[in-house]
Parts: sequence; C-alpha cells; structure tokens
Amino acid sequence: MYKTLATATYILAVATAVQAQDVRITTFKSDSTFSLNGITFTVTRDQNTDAILEGEFARTARACPPDCLQPLTLASGAETYGELEVMKFLETTVTNGNGLLVDARTPQDFGAVAIPGAVNVPSVTLVPENRFRPDILRALGGVDIAGGGMDFSNAMELTVYSGGVWSNEAPAAINNLIEAGYPVEKIHYYRGGVQAWMHVGLSTISSSNPG
Amino acid sequence: MIRTVVVLFAFAVLLCGLIIFRPFGEEDVVTQDPLGTPVDDSVQVTRAATPDTDVSAIADVVANATAATPVTAVIEAPRRVDVARPNTDDTRLSDMTNNVLAELGFAGVEHVTTDTEVLRESTSDILAGIEAATGQSSILQESETLEAIVIAALRAGESDDAIDQIVNTAAASGTVAIPEILVTSDGRVDTHVLLNNIVAQAHIAAGGAAPAVPEITPDNVQGLEVRVVQQANNDIQARFYTVQSGDSLGAISIKFFGSTDHYTAIFEANRGLLSSPDRIRVGQRLVIPDLDAI
Repeated sequence: MYKTLATATYILAVATAVQAQDVRITTFKSDSTFSLNGITFTVTRDQNTDAILEGEFARTARACPPDCLQPLTLASGAETYGELEVMKFLETTVTNGNGLLVDARTPQDFGAVAIPGAVNVPSVTLVPENRFRPDILRALGGVDIAGGGMDFSNAMELTVYSGGVWSNEAPAAINNLIEAGYPVEKIHYYRGGVQAWMHVGLSTISSSNPG
Repeated sequence: MIRTVVVLFAFAVLLCGLIIFRPFGEEDVVTQDPLGTPVDDSVQVTRAATPDTDVSAIADVVANATAATPVTAVIEAPRRVDVARPNTDDTRLSDMTNNVLAELGFAGVEHVTTDTEVLRESTSDILAGIEAATGQSSILQESETLEAIVIAALRAGESDDAIDQIVNTAAASGTVAIPEILVTSDGRVDTHVLLNNIVAQAHIAAGGAAPAVPEITPDNVQGLEVRVVQQANNDIQARFYTVQSGDSLGAISIKFFGSTDHYTAIFEANRGLLSSPDRIRVGQRLVIPDLDAI
C-alpha cells in the first residue's frame, strides 16, 4: 500500500518536473531573470504545448505601406538581435543600469502587450519635428554641447523593437536616433518584435510604463 | 548588327551621363538668412472693425503702429528659391488665439488643449517611463511658447512692429514653434495675421459677427488672375493667385475669405503644389477655391 502510494507520488513528482521543464528557453536555460531599477522580472516560456497565437499577433496580413517587411540588417548598420540576445541584453546591460529595452510602438499598443522590462518611446516622438525630442534624448543620457548638438558618449545602450518583422516603427525610431547623433554601436534592433516574442511563448506584460 | 548594338550602347551611356550630370539643369538657390526680406506690407489684410467694450483695448494696442509699418516694394525672387523656415507645430492658430484671449481674461473664452500641450503631455509620460526604468530623474525643459510671448507683448503694450520683431527673433533662434499657416513665403512669421486673428476672434467672442468675405477683383489684389472656363451650360470663374513676397497661407485666406478659418480649403485645393501649409513660396500660382462650391 505504502509502496504504491510512494510510487504514485514519485511518478507524479517526475511528471510535474518533466512538465515544468518541457518548454525551456534553451537546453541549459529555463528562464531569464533580470532587474530594472530594483524591479525584478522573470521571463519563461509558456508550458502549454497546445497553445497557439490568437488575436492581434496571429494576423499575417497588414497594409504595406506603412507595415512593410524589414531587412535583417538595417541600412544604418545597427546590430540585429534575436530573442536570446535580447534576454542577454536584459540580464546584463539593463540589469547593470547601462541599457534600456525600447518599445517604439504607440502607447496604446505598448499598454496592450509588451516585453517585460521595456520602456515605451513611440517612434513618432523621435522625429526631428518634435520639439520635445531633446528632452527624451537627455533622458536617455544625451548631454547638451555648447553651440548645439548632443554628446551621447555616456548615453544608454538601446535595444529597440516594435510589432514584428513587418513593422517599421523600430527601424524608424533607430534611424531618427542615429540622425539625432546617437552612436549606431549603442543601438540594437530586435527585428522579431512582439510577434516573434509571443510566437515562442515568452512572458509578456500588459501595463503602462514600469513603475 | 554588332555596329548597331555598339551605337545604341554608346547612345545609352551618353543619355545616362546627361541624366546624372545635368549640364543644363537649374541649380537650387538657398537663401541662408532665416529672416529673409522684411514683411511686405502690400499684403492687404482686412482688419475687423474695432468693436465696442472689451476688444477695444487690444485692438488699440494692435492697431497703433500698423499705419507706420514701412512699405517695401515686392521683391522679385527667382523661382525654386528655398528659404530657411521657422519651426512649426500642429497647434492650430485658432486654438492658440483662443488661449491668448483666455489668458488675457476675456469673458466667455475658455482655455482649450492645443496639440503642443498634448505632445508635451505624452513626452512627460515617456520621460516618466524612462525615469522609472533608469532611476535617474529627467526634467522636461520649459521652452517658450508663441502663446506666452504674444501674451507678454500684448500686456506690455508693444506695437505691431515690436511684436513682429520679438516673435521673429524667437522664431529665427528656433526656440519657439509656430502654427504652419503663419509661415510666409520669405520664411518669416506673419505677425500681421497673428494679431489680426486675435482681434477677429476677440470680436466674435464679444458677440460680433464673423468677418465678411471681402470683395476681390484683380484690380485691388496684386497677383490675382480670374479666368472664365466655359462649360456646357454655364461659365465657371476660376481664380488663381500668385504668391507674393511676405504672404502666408493665413494671409491669403484672410485676403480672399475674410478670416484664417478657410486656409484648409486653399491648402486642399493646392495639394499638388504645397507639401504642407508652411511650404509656401514666392511665385507659386495657387488655385483659390470657391467656398460656395465646397
């Protein structure tokens, strides 16, 4: 009787353990933990192997323009990231306080669903015509130079994403940042965006800006 | 056969060379002076008649130096001249004027939220987000607004000329953004229209009638051309206006329709020529739409 119970418990435990580790990020990595100004985030993958995408990010067709396919490497030369590089960026650069994950979509889209740890800077606010753009650039670490222009040598390292490979918001934001003098080596492009992130079942948040 | 191909190839190379180097092409002339030429006072802007009570105070301030504005000849500028233009934003002139009047204490005029204020609000949201993520406080720097400059100048009882000077100095330094329809063909700020609009809106706020559509003929408006287009049943009068030095889209709207409210009708009718309301250039031939037909 006890033996049966023990066996049952053992099987259950093993089953749970196997269940918990069924869908890992990589063979040796089950989750990604990082912190942003004292707030800790943990990203894991959805353990439900039957889960499929639904809603906005299950869509395959969007009007182009404006939502046109983007190249793997942007003309500006900003380095392109995949999910693992984004997580490494969050675990190291962001956790050390030297970088930010930037969501270039509109505040509405950002509020609906976003990557944990991201900060919303809509691409439209980075156009040269926005008279408040210098304020945003200063917040990212730009320092005014006497006689015009900004010095970005101590500015945040940025990883910029938007909706997906079909979305021009991240590339537009990156181009405008570079046009404003932001060093291209401080900017990374997560081309897959929210869609690719959700497509592999990684954790998301739905809220306004953190904090 | 080979000879034909070689000849054709040589011709193609020559053609490409001509396209790339354009030996006969016009060159763009860029005027560096952001202030351009002085305001051309030949622009006939009809001012609303000075109404009773409240409005008269401002109207006096506004009107006292108008007569003294020096009259300069229309300067013939070559086509395709592009001038440095002041920064513009989406704030509508009517909203801005409304807020100037509200700030000056006009009865019945409430502050409205301008596009600039919306943009400012969203920027402070973004900064709050970055601040929460970095832990470093970031401040939205207060920049001057055209509204504040105009209010201060009107309170100080400055003359039209002085206001023109103050606003244009601020605009040339790039610290203020101005409504698009106030940008003149010379890249200046049309303070004439700015002040006219304040008087006109004050007049309406005080219960006055909206300004009437002025009588316009080619005799009293320089640059106007009226053409009669014959159609099957009736003749249609088409009006064309050649942009003069010192014109802004707001000034043209006042010239033809009595107020700045109808600038969108002019802008829409000339979409092919104007990429945005502030891209108005001397010598452009604008179609003046018939408001009754819209």
